Amino acid sequence: MQWTLGKRFVSEDEIIKEQGLFLDYDEIARKGAMTAEEKNISKWYGIYSSRHAGNHMARVVVPGGVLSSSQARRMCKIAEDYAQGKLAITTRQCIQLHWLKTPSLADMIRGLAEDSLSTFHGCGDVTRNVTACPLAETCQFKRFNVQPYVQETARVLTSMRDLDNLPRKFKITFSGCGAGCAQPYINCIGVVAVERKGTDGQTEHGFKVVIGGGMGWSPFIGKDLFSFVPPKKIVKVNRAIALLFRDYGDRRDRTMSRLKFVVYRKGIDECRRIVLQYLTDEDVSTEDIEAEAFEETGVPYPDRPLLEENPVGTDGKVTVRAMIPKGELTHIDFKRFAELSEIYGNKKVYLTNRQNIEIHGVKPEKVEAITADIQAAGFATEGFFGMRDIVPCVGTTYCPKAVTETRSLYDTLMPIVSQEKYKDIWDKAIINITGCPNSCSPYRITDIGFRGMRIREQMGSTQAYEMLIGGEHDRLGKKLGEFKTDDCPRVLEKILDTFLRVRKGDETLSECIHRMGL
Amino acid sequence: MSDDKSLDEFLKSIEELDISYDMAPNPQEHSVFTGVTAEPLDFKTYAKDIPCQQACPAKTNVPAYIEAIAKGDPDKAYLINQEDNVFSGVLGRVCSRPCEDACRHNWTGTSGPVHICHLKRSASDYKENPPKPLPGWFEDTSKKVAIIGGGPAGLTAARELRRYGHNVTIYERDSMLGGMMVQGIPIFRLPRETVEAEVNAIIESGIDVKYNTNVDSVMLQGIIDENDAVLMAVGTVHPSNLKIPGLPGDGHTISGLKFMYDYNMGKIGDMRGQNVIIVGGGFTAVDCGRSYARAAKRLVGEEGSVTIMYRRTEAQMSADSDEINEMRLEEIEVETLMNPHSARTEDGKLVGVTFQRNSLDDSQGDGGKPKVHAIEGTEEEYPCDLLIMAIGQTRELKILPEGVSQTEGHDTTHEKVWMAGDFNYGSFDVITAVNDGKEVAKTIDTQLMGKERRKEHIGITMLDTNGETGRVRDHDIQFPPEMPKLPLFDRDGTAEVELGHTEDETLVQATRCYFCHYKFEINQDACIHCDWCIGVAPRDCINRVSRLFHDDDGAVTSSLEANLADEATYIWIDSNECVRCGKCLRICPTGAITMRKSEKCGCSSEEFEEKQKENVPYGVVKYDKY
Repeated sequence: MQWTLGKRFVSEDEIIKEQGLFLDYDEIARKGAMTAEEKNISKWYGIYSSRHAGNHMARVVVPGGVLSSSQARRMCKIAEDYAQGKLAITTRQCIQLHWLKTPSLADMIRGLAEDSLSTFHGCGDVTRNVTACPLAETCQFKRFNVQPYVQETARVLTSMRDLDNLPRKFKITFSGCGAGCAQPYINCIGVVAVERKGTDGQTEHGFKVVIGGGMGWSPFIGKDLFSFVPPKKIVKVNRAIALLFRDYGDRRDRTMSRLKFVVYRKGIDECRRIVLQYLTDEDVSTEDIEAEAFEETGVPYPDRPLLEENPVGTDGKVTVRAMIPKGELTHIDFKRFAELSEIYGNKKVYLTNRQNIEIHGVKPEKVEAITADIQAAGFATEGFFGMRDIVPCVGTTYCPKAVTETRSLYDTLMPIVSQEKYKDIWDKAIINITGCPNSCSPYRITDIGFRGMRIREQMGSTQAYEMLIGGEHDRLGKKLGEFKTDDCPRVLEKILDTFLRVRKGDETLSECIHRMGL
Repeated sequence: MSDDKSLDEFLKSIEELDISYDMAPNPQEHSVFTGVTAEPLDFKTYAKDIPCQQACPAKTNVPAYIEAIAKGDPDKAYLINQEDNVFSGVLGRVCSRPCEDACRHNWTGTSGPVHICHLKRSASDYKENPPKPLPGWFEDTSKKVAIIGGGPAGLTAARELRRYGHNVTIYERDSMLGGMMVQGIPIFRLPRETVEAEVNAIIESGIDVKYNTNVDSVMLQGIIDENDAVLMAVGTVHPSNLKIPGLPGDGHTISGLKFMYDYNMGKIGDMRGQNVIIVGGGFTAVDCGRSYARAAKRLVGEEGSVTIMYRRTEAQMSADSDEINEMRLEEIEVETLMNPHSARTEDGKLVGVTFQRNSLDDSQGDGGKPKVHAIEGTEEEYPCDLLIMAIGQTRELKILPEGVSQTEGHDTTHEKVWMAGDFNYGSFDVITAVNDGKEVAKTIDTQLMGKERRKEHIGITMLDTNGETGRVRDHDIQFPPEMPKLPLFDRDGTAEVELGHTEDETLVQATRCYFCHYKFEINQDACIHCDWCIGVAPRDCINRVSRLFHDDDGAVTSSLEANLADEATYIWIDSNECVRCGKCLRICPTGAITMRKSEKCGCSSEEFEEKQKENVPYGVVKYDKY
């Protein structure tokens, strides 16, 4: 009916979404292929199309990045059966399986369900995997354990059918303190645990809520929405923010949909008013939700708590880490970690946002043994949160959006940063590599960031990177220049040499650059 | 940014590496990013980007007026038309529509071109304000210009010369202005009031008209002496004729031109029961045929017959398929591939004309139409009481003063005498005459004032609407509604047959237009070759290209497409294939793609130079949609 055209100023995706968000993967298996619309809706089931035609990627949701050893073993089985035996850990603590064939998707989803695992809402315009700082449960700097709130937020927001069709993806992260290990300032909602002295002198726990952060093409650092939310209300507040996004997000242009644009356009004060109104509408009292600043009284935390090697938790147990190069490992290796967690740890495998694996709850006397076992499996147990912990996105290896082969840059840069001459600054800089402006590996908030692009030549063009330096979890890096991939190693070397020369004391590269700009 | 010293040490250290890249130039389709320009490159780009406007002899700003209609402002649309093509109500009905042949929909869609002509009429139908004189451009110059002939070319030239500030007098042979518009086009296609309203808007700007004045050579000499310039726009009044053996004289044959004049003036008597044959295949032939049918009350009577004989096939007839269908509905026979052979009389009265069949040749003759040859032995007589020869008209150059002849274009050997319209180039359509009137006015003004006072140029403005033009992709593929017509049995020979689109239909027609005056271009220096625009583009409009080929003015003539990313020097928008959906701009992560609007404009030369100072070159504006 062409007379109604005037009402259809929405993106094509919105029109597809209106047709319904349901798919029958057995029917798709029978057909052997998905239509373009089915591929679109497939994202709600956590399944993307690969760069390689006929293949798919599935993103398994792991709230807080915590897998039971049983679930980890299930992942291994699924990877072995359907995904060429490979698993990839993501920067948002999920596990991705590549090389999935259309007819096997239904069986894969059923297989995951046997251990309460799911790809549901792994992608799509919904609340994505809710993440947390990896040490949330036992970190010595934590205000309190945020993991229960992570799990509850994930459970409630994923099960609400009125939040199924948001304008775009919606990301929530929880931090146990203000150090930013979980990157609260670049998520749609960053929830940060806070501690203060109440009027009666008692210690009071709550959450600071930051909204409207985001990387991608147009970076925004989140803004403070509430300074204090009682923990029991955090799920309701998160829902109210999701409603704000649902009702005010842009549905005409998907590149301008994210919550960050709502906050940018409406202003944080108006957003706060709307969120409070939604809470009131849903019979949630708002008088104990505050926006004014107050004195935080929790234990002081360092800038980068994750630098600590084998940190001892509040329970007296130790966390031991394994460095997973490029975040990808085989089902055999992953099974070994499940096994190690059963032998030494708390029978859980923790996935970090730097695409590594942690085993928690290791008795101090067992640290040596588990370290040896991890090393025997072929993984490094040091260098975390430093230069040798480079995080690349999957790049053109799998991703249809990518411009460059990020993994080959990883391979080129690794020998550069591993040189002995940089020993003193190994833990003073973080490096991220992303293959396109979508920033799956957030390159703007690390000390050194690479973003894929191409530079034209007289005839043709060649892979290149825009290079940023000086980013911090709550501060964007500055553009250094654009360099062809072949030049990146020597440019990086120059930067590190210069840093070695000009640095003062214990400062990180980001701090150093910040200081020099003052 | 320059105050920020934080990276200085690092940038200095990188300088030591001496990294520099040899890059292909950043190709640009205009000579400026925004502003006004009159470089050949800009005119070429505009011509390629807006094919309808380029095809229009009068260079009507088609996308701008259609956009105005789509946005619910027919008055603005009418004004744009009035400015460019003077008689928009007239042309909205009778234009030969070269624009529609050039419309981008012809090669990007399957539902035919945008019905540009009908939209012009809709603007005229739905405007609220009657046509008014347009404001002048310059102060009074006290120069005097005489125009012989008040047809479309003469009237247009009069309007323009008046706007240049000259005193204009029109000498018209008839008692009314309009020329062929009132004499040659039947009233059921073009109501008299429409012409009158638009002619009056010209005359009311302060033009002196001398009606019923048949200018002879003596008078003309006087006019030349009295005026600073004289424009001859007397049209083509000399009907072409075919020598047909056995054909009697007057009364049995009549030229299409004369017939139409008589018909429009109501001078045709009773012709009931006659058999009429019209020879010719142009607009005039069709008009004659339909007019004659009405004159003879053919629609309701049975005795007489009307037949059009054309030497080629329907495909070569100037009448479009709509017209031909209409004729069939009205029981007017159309016989093609027919050539008059001989005539037969009885008692000095024409009774029959013999026609010979033609066969099409593969080769093409002058004008691109296929040649025909007669087939011997196929002669056949058709009963005929009146033969109308509608095979065109030629110029009566004898009207020019003695010793004066045409040199080139508007110029004659006499420095004060100019020619325009059909009188300049032979019988053609209204829109071409309008353009010729505009051009000759400019030429005369330049001659009279000693310099070019108005500058035609391209104006380019940047738009910050996130690539949205007010249309969605679905608008591209709407069904274009047909023009509503008067029911067959209500056609009385005077009532207008085409009724005009309803407002809803107008909106569909208008929103089909791609609005080609919007231009999407990639700044290659900001492009990172992510190819996302290629992915979202609905058509083959954005490509990886390894080379672009330019002509001497810098306009891109063709490109060499690349398959692989490594071979791609540029990601290139082929504006010829672009349907202005804006998706590429919205998906572009780096703001490399911008949407600008380019328009052909005119202003005084001084104003142009002043405006040029505000031009913004490429690379200065950093587009950031956030």
